Amino acid sequence: MNKITVKICMGTTCFVMGASSLQELVDMVPSRYGDKVEVQGVPCLEFCNARTEARAPYVTVDDRVVMNATVEKVIEEIERKLSNG
Amino acid sequence: MFIDIDCAQEKKYNQNTYGDYFLSKRYPEKGELIAVLSDGLGSGVKANILATMTATMLLKFVEAGTNIKTACEVVMNSLPVCQVRKISYSTFSVVFCNEEGEVKIVEEGNPQFIYISGGKVIEPEFSVIDSDTFKNRHMHVYKLNLKLGDRLVFCSDGVTQAGLGSSHLKLGLRRQGLIEYLLEKIKENPDISSSDLAKFAVRVAINTEPDRKAKDDTSCAVLYYRNPRYALIFTGPPYHQEKDNEYAREFINSKSKKAIAGGTTANLISRELNIPIKCNIAKSAGKLPAVSYMEGVDLVTEGILTLTRTTEYLENGFKGKEKDAAYELMQFLLSSDCIEFMVGAKLNQAHYDPNLPIEIEIRKNIIKKMAKILEDKYIKKVSVRYI
Ligand code: FES
Repeated sequence: MNKITVKICMGTTCFVMGASSLQELVDMVPSRYGDKVEVQGVPCLEFCNARTEARAPYVTVDDRVVMNATVEKVIEEIERKLSNG
Repeated sequence: MFIDIDCAQEKKYNQNTYGDYFLSKRYPEKGELIAVLSDGLGSGVKANILATMTATMLLKFVEAGTNIKTACEVVMNSLPVCQVRKISYSTFSVVFCNEEGEVKIVEEGNPQFIYISGGKVIEPEFSVIDSDTFKNRHMHVYKLNLKLGDRLVFCSDGVTQAGLGSSHLKLGLRRQGLIEYLLEKIKENPDISSSDLAKFAVRVAINTEPDRKAKDDTSCAVLYYRNPRYALIFTGPPYHQEKDNEYAREFINSKSKKAIAGGTTANLISRELNIPIKCNIAKSAGKLPAVSYMEGVDLVTEGILTLTRTTEYLENGFKGKEKDAAYELMQFLLSSDCIEFMVGAKLNQAHYDPNLPIEIEIRKNIIKKMAKILEDKYIKKVSVRYI
């Protein structure tokens, strides 16, 4: 099975909209899922340009975009991915 | 050449103010600089006022267009004499120089400056002008041509007389003693900044005192001709998207130290030049996104929030405990002499929302403000280019 990649946006809009609280994932994810899931930061996912700002912060879980991301929503998405294999 | 100048001072112990005064002013359009180091008689508030007055007067004269020699002569002839001790109220050294390396120096009463070139001390010739009004006052006037890498070290007698009368150094550190330390230090660290060398000299002087307490006001000013250090900051995506590649190349090929402030900007450079970005999310200190890493770029930070915070630090000083990305950016700026901003002025495509173009105004305004502070408070050469 391929490794799942989670990207957390650290850009201005997402940071202001609460991405800093998503940093919890950095410790939480590896302790739960080991090396099945990798968490990365990115300078800007470029969704802030194209979509309405009200949906920041953005996180991607592989090809899925999590809008208004929270720790719970991201974990949910990871779980879904994992169970779908 | 860039003139790197700085002064370090220690006040006489148990005094609460400095009796030496250092003043310097740069005239960027003309590429000139004037600096004055003045030592007021005695110590504490009285000395401070005398020294400040002398230095300020000299600067004002020269600014008003008076020839430096004449200005110094007027000051020398008019400074009062202490009734009790029959010596001048304050002594001074003035240096007036330009980026070509032409230097004029006038000294009255201060220890003779030290001219260091190629790791050696040069003792230049001077002419003496006697005071019309006071027979024990003379000015020494020097005209020099300095080269890249040359330094001039000025100090108050607190440095040269440090340790005077102590058991191991009856005559104190003296000029010769200081020279030995300076040459040794420069040999060890040939590119040492003026600020560090001046601090070093003051430390040497204080360590020479048996009890490590400054017996007199102790000041050292260093002037150093060196190549300017350039910095380039890229912030915001360019207005013409088709030029992204051109600008990205220009940025990466520049010889300056480089910083990127902005996520979209970092992505753009990464995409155009195929350089991966490593983003550090684990530690974002002090409510700012942490710095990222990119090969060939010295610093990568988030945009608006970091720039705003950096401007605050530049304006009011860094008081926080946590060294965040804005602190890093401040250090980056302050360790350069000539700073260029490439400010992208592109609107976000999808924004028809009237609130959003504001972002560009914010960026422009922060950069404008930051540039002004860097110029006025830190005497940097700054240029801003909108792209
Ligand atoms: S700031 Fe998060 S998508 Fe741009």
